[in-house]
Amino acid sequence: MNNNSAFAAIHPMVLLLYFIGEIVITMFSSDPVVLLCSFVGSVLLFAMLSSLKQFLSDLAFYLPMLVLIAVINPLFSHNGVTPLFFMNGNAVTLEAILYGFDISLMLISVVYWCKCFSIVMTTDKFLYLFGRAVPKLSLVLSMALRFIPLFRRKLKEFRAVQGAVGLYSQKGFVNKIASELKVFSALIGWALENSADTANSMKARGYGLKGRTHFSLFKFRVGDIIFLIFSAVFFVVTTAGIAVGLTDFYFYPRVAKLCFDSLKTAVYSAFFVLSVMPFVVQLREVVVWKYSVSKI
Amino acid sequence: MEILSVKNLSFTYPECTERALNNINLTVKEGEFVVLCGASGSGKTTLLRMFKKELVPHGDRSGEVLFKNTEVTEISDRQSAEKIGFVFQKPDQQIVTDKVWHELAFGLESLGYGSDYIRLRVGEMASYFGITSIFRNKTSQLSGGQKQLLNLASVMAMSPDVLILDEPTSQLDPIAAADFIATIKRLNTELGLTVILTEHRLQDVFPIADKVVVIEKGSIIGTGSPGTVCEKLINHKISVGFPSAVRIWQGSQLGGKCPLTVKEGREFINSTFQAKNVEISSTAICTKNAVELKEVFFRYEKTSDDIIKGLSLSVKQGEHFCILGGNGSGKTTTLKVISGILRNHRGKVLINNENVTKKSADKRGTALLPQNPDEIFLNSSVRDDYIQLLAVRGIKGTTAEQKIDEIIESLDIAHLMEKHPYDLSGGELQKTAMGKILLNEPKILLLDEPTKGLDAYAKQSLKDIIKQLKSTGVTIITVTHDVEFAAETADRCGLFFDGEVLSVSVPQKFFSMNNFYTTSASRIARERFKNAVTVEQVLNAMGVKNER
Amino acid sequence: MKGNYIKLLVLCLGVPIIVAMGVFLFSDRAYAWVSLCVAVLAIVPIFISFEKGSHSSIRLVILAVMIALSVAGRFVFAWLPHFKPVTAMVIITGMYLGYECGFVCGAFTALISNFYFGQGPWTPFQMFAWGIVGLVSGVLAKYFEKYVLVLFVYGAAAGVLYSFILDVWTTLWWDGSFNFTRFIVNITTAVPVTAIYAISNVIFLFLLSKPLGKKIKRIKIKYGI
Repeated sequence: MNNNSAFAAIHPMVLLLYFIGEIVITMFSSDPVVLLCSFVGSVLLFAMLSSLKQFLSDLAFYLPMLVLIAVINPLFSHNGVTPLFFMNGNAVTLEAILYGFDISLMLISVVYWCKCFSIVMTTDKFLYLFGRAVPKLSLVLSMALRFIPLFRRKLKEFRAVQGAVGLYSQKGFVNKIASELKVFSALIGWALENSADTANSMKARGYGLKGRTHFSLFKFRVGDIIFLIFSAVFFVVTTAGIAVGLTDFYFYPRVAKLCFDSLKTAVYSAFFVLSVMPFVVQLREVVVWKYSVSKI
Repeated sequence: MEILSVKNLSFTYPECTERALNNINLTVKEGEFVVLCGASGSGKTTLLRMFKKELVPHGDRSGEVLFKNTEVTEISDRQSAEKIGFVFQKPDQQIVTDKVWHELAFGLESLGYGSDYIRLRVGEMASYFGITSIFRNKTSQLSGGQKQLLNLASVMAMSPDVLILDEPTSQLDPIAAADFIATIKRLNTELGLTVILTEHRLQDVFPIADKVVVIEKGSIIGTGSPGTVCEKLINHKISVGFPSAVRIWQGSQLGGKCPLTVKEGREFINSTFQAKNVEISSTAICTKNAVELKEVFFRYEKTSDDIIKGLSLSVKQGEHFCILGGNGSGKTTTLKVISGILRNHRGKVLINNENVTKKSADKRGTALLPQNPDEIFLNSSVRDDYIQLLAVRGIKGTTAEQKIDEIIESLDIAHLMEKHPYDLSGGELQKTAMGKILLNEPKILLLDEPTKGLDAYAKQSLKDIIKQLKSTGVTIITVTHDVEFAAETADRCGLFFDGEVLSVSVPQKFFSMNNFYTTSASRIARERFKNAVTVEQVLNAMGVKNER
Repeated sequence: MKGNYIKLLVLCLGVPIIVAMGVFLFSDRAYAWVSLCVAVLAIVPIFISFEKGSHSSIRLVILAVMIALSVAGRFVFAWLPHFKPVTAMVIITGMYLGYECGFVCGAFTALISNFYFGQGPWTPFQMFAWGIVGLVSGVLAKYFEKYVLVLFVYGAAAGVLYSFILDVWTTLWWDGSFNFTRFIVNITTAVPVTAIYAISNVIFLFLLSKPLGKKIKRIKIKYGI
């Protein structure tokens, strides 16, 4: 997917902090405006990072989901003072439905942010972040990531070879399970037997010496620092707003009124900017390319 | 100056009575290129491991192994890791991390260098070894040759004084192997790096070695410059693995200076012999088709390109047909299509004149020996595997035992039956794997790169097995890079190129027609003895009776 | 040494402060916040203790192999929903390589699987849940060797435990507080899946634990670990 986009090129540490900040605020807020900002930001970013086809098919899945979660919520919650109708003797209230919308907005925003996170935070970035804190485990992770494609390829070979001698077949449920198990257990044997070679190769290259360092290809650049400062400022403003209760919102017993006084508007705008920052970074790149290409 | 020296070294593995190494004395000078040769199990690998502290095997050791006048086991861990580089046999198993750049940096990280230094060294290595274009790739996406080159580069990143390589090219195809050897030679001449190498494929390394050491059963039986070793070990058992030029010279028994390269070999023949016509001997082959492919097309996915394009081919009953050709050309795919592991989307596959295109792999009466014979085994002993296979076919009890005994006898593998498949050497593993597929009594045997990783003896015994199987009427189709092997064993050869098999003919014709894709014996002798393409044929043309 | 004390201080003070701040900031979803913190923070000390311990390179490689195998196992049985050898592999790792390796195997299997299937706030919980399964298996290893039945019971229980932990999290996350009705609904809708988990764990343990144990022991003897 889009791994060399402008947003993905930002230093992994900055990316991680950004995603944690954004997702934590989204996950634990109930203010509909905050959630809407987050939703818009995440969907816009995902649109930039994924292909159009992927984006549309995802949207076609999540929008009905959003409604579904909302209308199901009254089954679990009978709070609220505005009953719309009664079902099995329980009131289905307006508040419960609105609260359902609120939750589903939150859930789907988080899912979208996580989708973007998965696209942008490739394994090598993960290993880099991990490796600084826990180098040994990061090495284990790296080895495991290196083994998985190797094992999957070997598995295919095992299947083909055993199929040719008649010890692997896809016919029949029990037969198939038994065949897969045979092959899987052969893979286990092969993998374990060959692990000694890998260990020797590590030892031969000095693994286990004191003072091992951790190398990576990532560098802090000016752009990363600028992005970090901006997001930090907007994050602090938003959390300050949350801390003093500007975004407190309740649905029960009666839905609180939305109001946009100057302080609240400031907090909302800060969070909105925070949420769309990645999108803006991406958009800027697209514009620059269009502009420079059209000039040539 | 001596960089490594071995004095009176003997070594016995635990619970073994025989010595793995017996009174070894050896010195390696700085900047020397040393080739160690010997059969599998002769003690080559054990000796190499003695040089690397981290890899010294457990066991009973006497004598000295010195690196720059210090006992190897007493130099510091750091020094050993940094100064003595070791490259192993299997390209896949010695890669530790998932990215090329990280693999290059691995050793330097162990040594505790800072990021800036590592960045510089890693960049330098990538440039020197020509792997900048794959620098950020995943290690799983590389070819075998690239993997082994990466392994070499990541050892060289630590700038060792000595480079030790344990059969580094045995899993590579000949072209990648030759490239790899050339790279090592370049390190040796350009950087003055000391190299110690074990190899089966002596053709490429003899001409560039400063010193050859021959080991047999744990003892050194010959050491010196390649020329002197070849002159000393005339017609010794080990010489079947020597370069063709050497074998021709040895066989001629004419004495003088031993030629090592094709060029020297050709000079030797041209100056000694007159041109002579060599007849193309052709054995009568059966006219009945065992396998026939009619306009077969194959591709892996609906949208991908065809790998096999309109391939038509007929293989006669009881013949050994060799398909030669470059890497990734589709040779292995062809075998898989014949065996039914893969299904062609157009054309017909006929076996014994029956259309089997829609039959599954286990019902075609074919058996495939895969490139990696370890994929044949599922259990913890060879016998268990044999029993399991027969049980699936409903053969049990004494009938099963009888069948297994037959196979044991014909392949001479009685001593291997109770062993764990992973404890066997390359040659043994292949024999036992062959035994397992022969239990199905195939009429058609498909061999995929059967000589990969085999030493000269194991190759010889494979040739014997092929002969024996042919005599019982089994048809064999082999896919190989090994031109020497094809020239010596095939009834007919064909070149796989661009999805088709071209220029099918008997080996003598096939190889004498080709200028590049041919055996070194043919290249050596073609000006005098056209049509002589194996060492044996050249010797026959010279009028030498071959005693072996 | 000094650095360690500072780290310890930061850990002792920092963690409660973060948790408290979260509770204060997100008062209406405090439970979800606390549970997320618990999951993440339970992983940290075990990872650190693994990091502090000395592990031979072959041990690390075998651990990586086991992780890779349990992820690869998911692909092998991809055609059978929920019927996966993953938990069995994690339990076996804990059994033969010790509780720390068991935890790491579980946690990393979850993490790597999610590289393929998508990361999310559920990642820490999956890491935690599978990690605990491996950890407990390491602690109970000696009983497993004596009584095979205990191993199978544990395998079935591990399937239930895994489902339970994830259902608790889902409930907390959706509602911010522990909505009992939703929890019951989550659990009951998950019953078939949980049952498959439990059954498949037992089946895979039955089929894999002995041969795999033999294989690991063989490697241990062959290479002198």
